[in-house]
Amino acid sequence: MLLPPWHTLAEPGRGLAESVALAQLRLPAESSELRRARDEVAAAGTRFGLERKACYELVFAVNEAVTNAIRHGSPSADGTIGLTIEAEGDELVCLVSDCGPFVPPRRRRDMATEEGGRGFAFMAALTDQLELSVEPNGTVIELRKRREVKVLVSDA
Amino acid sequence: MGFLEVSEDVTEDGIRVLRISGDVDFDVAPELKQRIVGRVEAGDRKLIIDLSAVGFIDSTAIGVLVAALKRLRDTGGTLMVVCNNEDVRNIFATVGLESVIPLHRSDEDAFAALAHAG
Repeated sequence: MLLPPWHTLAEPGRGLAESVALAQLRLPAESSELRRARDEVAAAGTRFGLERKACYELVFAVNEAVTNAIRHGSPSADGTIGLTIEAEGDELVCLVSDCGPFVPPRRRRDMATEEGGRGFAFMAALTDQLELSVEPNGTVIELRKRREVKVLVSDA
Repeated sequence: MGFLEVSEDVTEDGIRVLRISGDVDFDVAPELKQRIVGRVEAGDRKLIIDLSAVGFIDSTAIGVLVAALKRLRDTGGTLMVVCNNEDVRNIFATVGLESVIPLHRSDEDAFAALAHAG
């Protein structure tokens, strides 16, 4: 029987995996920090084994979340926002947190002409799962991206 | 604020070409906006934004391009975007933006589209 050396599982098992912290950063709430945020997520994504395209998409989505936190959120007393990167099973999880209440995006009047308001559309489209937690002490956005699971198929 | 990497040309027909390079994020988007608005206020009506050397452009900078396109169209002008980077093209396609801002693969394609648009 001819089989490819590996095939891709579309839905790897979820929910049981432990999460392992890969990076815990406090970033000054300044736009000059965006590059660092992107570099950290890209490095973690590559090490974790995200496909190149998936990694780029996650970097883009996290950059949007960090941009929102810088623009609309409130930094903590030391002027920073949080970026945590965790591995959970076959998902890379990025958490972007600030200390402010959630500022809902302005309702877009027209996607074709409005300048702003696309951040969440991008985040939702470019991640496997997007979650927003509004807590008394701040706002956390959780962005998840799954890696492909390659399974060796043996004839034995 | 960051530093936008940009160079400019004007053709004999008065088409302004802005060649951007580097990452275009919220750190430099305000500068991109200022530059484009400045050109439009100075009378430019046909702009080409060449993103050939851009590997990353975020939603705030894309918003600047969308707003500039609307502003130019309202005054009888237009704006063309050149982008041959598959990552960036994928980002535009993800939220259906390629129908809002058509992406041309080369300067030549953009000039041809401008000529066709009159």
